[in-house]
Amino acid sequence: MALTREFYRALEDVVGGRNISEDPAVTENYRCITAQSSAHYGPEDTRTPKPQAVVLPGSTDEVQQIVKLCNKYKVEFKAASTFWAAMGFIGSDNAIQLDMIRMDSIEVDAKNMLAIVEPFAVGGTVQVEAMKNGLTCNIAGVGCSSSTLAGSSGWVGFGPSSIFTGIASENLLGAEWVLPDGEIIRTGTLGSDGEWFCGEGPGPSPRAIFRGWTGTAGTMGVCTKIAIRLHPWPGPKWIPVRGTAPLYMADGLDNVRAYTICFPSWDAYAEGFRLLYEADVCYLAHRQFNMFGRDIKTALVEIFTHPEKQFCDIPALVEDPYLKEQNADMKIDVQIVLAGFSERDLDYKEKAFDAILEQIGAHKSEYYLQQDIEDFTKLYLLRLARKNYNYTLCSSYEGNFGLSANVFVAAPLMEEAAALKKKWEQTHTGVAAVGGDSDMGSVSGIGGGGTTGWEFFVHFDGFDRDSIYDSKAHIDETAAWMKEKGLGADFGRWNTEVRHPDGYNYTQEEHDAMYSKIAQPGLATYQWKIREAFNPNHLTGSYYKTATPPECKGKK
Amino acid sequence: MATKDSLKTILGNANVIDNPDVLASYAVSHSFDKNFKPWYVVKPKDAETVEKLVAFANETKTPLVPVSSTGVKLRGDSVPGVPEAVVVDLSGMDKILNVNRQQRMVVIEPGVTYDRLSAELAKQNMVIAGSLKPKKGQSVLTDIVEAVPRLNPMIQWNFFDPLRCAEVTWGDGTRMSTGEAAGGPLDLKTQWGKQQWQVQYMGPWMTDYFRLVTQAQGSMGIVTWASLKTAVKPLIHQLYVAEADDLADLEGFVYKAMWTRFPDEIFILNNMQLASLMGKTQAEIESLKEVLPPWIVAASAAGRELIPEVRFEARSKDLIDIAQASGLDLKEGLSNLSGRALYQEATSTDGDVYWKDLYAGSHQNVFFLTQLDKTGVFLRAVREIAEDFGYPTEDIGVYIQPKHQGSSYHMEFTFPYDPDSAKQTARVQDLTESVSVAVADLGGYYSRPYGKWAGIQLNKDAQSLMALKRLQKIFDPNDVMNPGKLAI
Amino acid sequence: MAKKSLFDMKPVKGYEKKLEDFFPMERRCSNCLGCKFVPFEKIKSNRFGRNCPSVWHYNFNTYSARGRFQLGQNIIEDGYVKFEGQALDAIFNCQACGACDVGCKVTRFNLEPLAHNIALKERAVEKGLAPVELKAAANSLTKQKTMLPDAKKANRADWAAGLKLKDVSGKETAEYVFFPGCQYAYDPELQKKAKTYVKVLQKAGVDLGYLGKLDMCCGGRAKQTGFREEFEAEAHANAAAWEKAGVVKIVTPCSDCYHAIKRQYALLGIKVEVVHAVELIADLVKAKKLKFKKTLDVAVTYHDPCHLGRLGEPHEDWNGTEKKILNQVHTWEPPRPRYAGTYGIYDAPREILAAIPGVRLIEMERIRENSWCCGAGGGCSVFNPEYSDAIASERVTEAQATGAEAIVTACPWCEINLTGIESDNGTYLDVVDIIDLVAKAL
Repeated sequence: MALTREFYRALEDVVGGRNISEDPAVTENYRCITAQSSAHYGPEDTRTPKPQAVVLPGSTDEVQQIVKLCNKYKVEFKAASTFWAAMGFIGSDNAIQLDMIRMDSIEVDAKNMLAIVEPFAVGGTVQVEAMKNGLTCNIAGVGCSSSTLAGSSGWVGFGPSSIFTGIASENLLGAEWVLPDGEIIRTGTLGSDGEWFCGEGPGPSPRAIFRGWTGTAGTMGVCTKIAIRLHPWPGPKWIPVRGTAPLYMADGLDNVRAYTICFPSWDAYAEGFRLLYEADVCYLAHRQFNMFGRDIKTALVEIFTHPEKQFCDIPALVEDPYLKEQNADMKIDVQIVLAGFSERDLDYKEKAFDAILEQIGAHKSEYYLQQDIEDFTKLYLLRLARKNYNYTLCSSYEGNFGLSANVFVAAPLMEEAAALKKKWEQTHTGVAAVGGDSDMGSVSGIGGGGTTGWEFFVHFDGFDRDSIYDSKAHIDETAAWMKEKGLGADFGRWNTEVRHPDGYNYTQEEHDAMYSKIAQPGLATYQWKIREAFNPNHLTGSYYKTATPPECKGKK
Repeated sequence: MATKDSLKTILGNANVIDNPDVLASYAVSHSFDKNFKPWYVVKPKDAETVEKLVAFANETKTPLVPVSSTGVKLRGDSVPGVPEAVVVDLSGMDKILNVNRQQRMVVIEPGVTYDRLSAELAKQNMVIAGSLKPKKGQSVLTDIVEAVPRLNPMIQWNFFDPLRCAEVTWGDGTRMSTGEAAGGPLDLKTQWGKQQWQVQYMGPWMTDYFRLVTQAQGSMGIVTWASLKTAVKPLIHQLYVAEADDLADLEGFVYKAMWTRFPDEIFILNNMQLASLMGKTQAEIESLKEVLPPWIVAASAAGRELIPEVRFEARSKDLIDIAQASGLDLKEGLSNLSGRALYQEATSTDGDVYWKDLYAGSHQNVFFLTQLDKTGVFLRAVREIAEDFGYPTEDIGVYIQPKHQGSSYHMEFTFPYDPDSAKQTARVQDLTESVSVAVADLGGYYSRPYGKWAGIQLNKDAQSLMALKRLQKIFDPNDVMNPGKLAI
Repeated sequence: MAKKSLFDMKPVKGYEKKLEDFFPMERRCSNCLGCKFVPFEKIKSNRFGRNCPSVWHYNFNTYSARGRFQLGQNIIEDGYVKFEGQALDAIFNCQACGACDVGCKVTRFNLEPLAHNIALKERAVEKGLAPVELKAAANSLTKQKTMLPDAKKANRADWAAGLKLKDVSGKETAEYVFFPGCQYAYDPELQKKAKTYVKVLQKAGVDLGYLGKLDMCCGGRAKQTGFREEFEAEAHANAAAWEKAGVVKIVTPCSDCYHAIKRQYALLGIKVEVVHAVELIADLVKAKKLKFKKTLDVAVTYHDPCHLGRLGEPHEDWNGTEKKILNQVHTWEPPRPRYAGTYGIYDAPREILAAIPGVRLIEMERIRENSWCCGAGGGCSVFNPEYSDAIASERVTEAQATGAEAIVTACPWCEINLTGIESDNGTYLDVVDIIDLVAKAL
């Protein structure tokens, strides 16, 4: 469905000739090969639809003009920044893609602990600017190469440090948003006074419609600039790095400690979380390295900290007596970072941490107390610069299970889930055989603690057709298990609710069938009404979940 | 009469009141805004009744005004702003539905007051972060849903913490819950049976439904329960105070203390506000005001269940060191002010007379959000305006409260006046109107836009007004929820 | 001389990669942005946080290594895109600076984005679709033994006029053969610097010769621009010439030549000992054979040339096998060399600068393996000078931000491309060949 020349010319007038393209070399590059990525959905060669043009806006004004043109010409659009996830891509043949790469500014207000960021400011750059001012930011679990704005406006956005730095939604202050109809709304203080420090109100918060639990996945127009809360960082203005490429380790962070807790049982794990929440000792808490798999996680850390080693060394490392013992010791583990804002503070946190370990019968992993390993871990967790390690093992992964946000519900189920995965690893070849449990667990899915995240990493080879299909089948099985246990949707099947396996949008009728019979249908029917009010031409795809209210059936 | 009969059918005879004296009592508030006597006061006992009531209101276009607190009405938001209204008094829905120590969660109905809740929580060594000396009949739920600032901003990762989930009957009559609770059935017992404790407040999908009832003055729907996050009660606690001649002298300490997150409670008061809080009579306040320092900052250290002494000592010493580095002497008390006594007053509920009314009989408040480094600008402007009006600037109370871990600051000016004096009343009315406009002109943000502030605030932000109008049309299409209050 | 001692002329395993061989990589790329940003542990600011000139300038994803992986897939595997239009634009507007390669290998073990970028160029060249300026340069390489336009073979040795330098093309022999590279051989300004190099080395007692009539281009630029055939022919011609002249060790002041001979020739089986002049000078300083007597009192910043730095790592032979373990973990047995920029030449120039009295080195943010390209790589300065200048301007801006008075470098291509370039604020910075500082301080 080619664009009309008038529309294309109008877009060109807005952004300039060098910032728009309909050349297939460009447009084909903005298709997500969902089956090969963490969307892991659909046939292995299926891509999201090809945009009719790719546009690179350079300012909010340009975005507004583009969106208005889309409304005039009834062309769908979607904006994305780092294109990390399938949700950033369009779902229709009659659509254009906005790539926000040109908008990447970061301004830090150190005193008031906030940063004003544009879409292509990624966690890694926002954090480095924040650290110059004794501050840091929440970086979502996806890693520091993801857009801070997209995480804050578009998706869930919790990460390893969220216990201390809160999650994306909690940190979102003022926001500038081009609505799907082309109007611009600036939330909170920004709308009235041009100040960024509060995104709520006036009165009931309009931001309610832009950023719920998941964010709006790019369906509520284009967020062009936001302010986020920054959080205290007691370390240097830049974390000194030692080591040679690609092994980098934090150097000299004396008031920051990284530990790995070895829990004696899953019950102790849950109780440990509760105590960690209450004692407010953690700067960061995350079950990180287990994502590689229970059997090989220590071997992987060895490889990452010894650049001469590669994956072919895994079998030997797994059998190394010392590593084997250490790996077994941390069967149920969590990585923790403590940061002292004073000597007394660090002393308190260390003692409180030790008291918690004693109370639950846990201990610190000896392996992770080695200086280089601790310093590698610190840098890894504090900067989340290597979240691409998620993919390194097999080139692709998809998270599955999800379990329950309540650690006291999820922890007792862990071994059953792990056994299910391990059995699959043994009976099929499409999923990497890493020891069953490959859970990467966010200790806190909410600021200060209280909810947890669970995500088993299903490592598969995105190049290997059989691996793609086999891992998909595995997730089908775990999804059925999740349903049987009453745990809700499997993490690995969220995408099935938002676009077809062929990458295209759902129709309203399909969404009605999916959402009109949920426990509280108002969730979907009010979103239908909100869409009608703010996105009357339905130009942003089907990631926005709606159900037609009974009283509106038959009406547009 | 048809209305009364219908209401009786829905609520039962005893819960529909049209006694003129009672109705009149619901029309009295501190607000200078035009008030209307309600036609009826109804007292639902459960959410199902509320749901039916809202459905009826939609059918008959009857304005509903939810009220949860008892006692003096300070802001006027719960007094009808239009004729023919029905006040929905929820103070009788006062059950504490669930207390969960493991999750530190509590679920309460609208009529639960601080005293009751605190007593119940204390049994399990928990505490709810409170606001500055709420009135005795203050609904905890309303206080929190209306985002009244908490003395302890550190627990606020989210702007609205400790609010988590809620059950709302929207203005169109649909009852649903928000956040995590919306993922299951409305029945809480079923959710608890699955160990779902209404912890996670967002969404649960793309819309933050709970944000539509916050700061809404009952204009979007009626909340029939809310889940709140509590804290572990301190075993050792000390509120420290430091004095200063100028507000600006406190800035460095507060910024640094907020950065470290060492304090639990932290707030700033001027001598008048402090005297009002501590004094029990007009005379006591008058004399206290003279001897108290112009400004104090209060910051607390606490130790909880886990190695309480170590935490308490570390926090105490560090706060004192930070203060010292900022040129302040942070102590357990001043010669005429004990930190413990201040904590006691700040965290207890009020007596028979609201504490801000003790000095002159009544008061007016102007409060808004700003940033700490801008508070001095507002202080100067307000004093200048007060002088222009001949209002004694030394009588102006000031309270500054960090919110949301310090991302914004609640600044509150209190102007006591004698309500029996027509001149004083007129003067303070004119004064606060001028101050309200000036504050807005200087960038003060009425996030909670009561009375005239709604017009002032929304006139500055056409797009937010447009968005709110669209939202109101969705959630309260017949404009039955507390009409006339938000200027939408 | 034993004829087989230096060159066995047998390409090493893995060199014959065709574009089709990259399918697995194209599909295994995880879109991590490692090819768009300096590794995040090393990043020091948002302003100077990007690593790839191409996508920094053109912005469309196609102009990044990740985009080129997808482009390759689109062209070869799926046929969605043809070698035309913006595909060619994205393919050739790549400096082949290798920043993406370093960024990628921070986390990945089985991707070779730089080699893939070049494979795309090679396929386009095979189809006759290279920019005309590059075709002309390649033609010149074949005919004139240089890729510089208008340069003639006959004038190749002019730079050495007046020098007392052994000509090893005849009967003379020397421990080191000075291999100037085309820029030092032909550019009138750089010719003077080449002479300075020679004089400095001779002053330190280095037994130095040059190739005289046998001297020619290294061909490295042909490799970077996709003219693989021409490059290989040139490499073999050089190898033959060196054999004839009995070359033992080569010293070159040119970073491109250094990389070509050290890494690319080795892949063809041509293994000769080559050092960059800065390595030799640093050793001479350490050995006190060069002593700095003058104080210069200048604050400088050092620009790491891509081909001396991250691409200056030595070649490692490898003869292993590809396999999968643990069902789906792809690897090689034994570990395959992983050129991540670790062992490039970074310290030698810095040691020289540190040894010169009064020289204060202020580092830029993007240094060593994460250095920002000067813009000249991949032939971009030849066929797209506007783009090349924009990249150079970004580097000058970064250099200015340090407060330094001059940029020092050790590569003639960088020197030329950075000289006379305006920074963001419209001002200029002196660009100094490291040899000029050395000579001045002696």
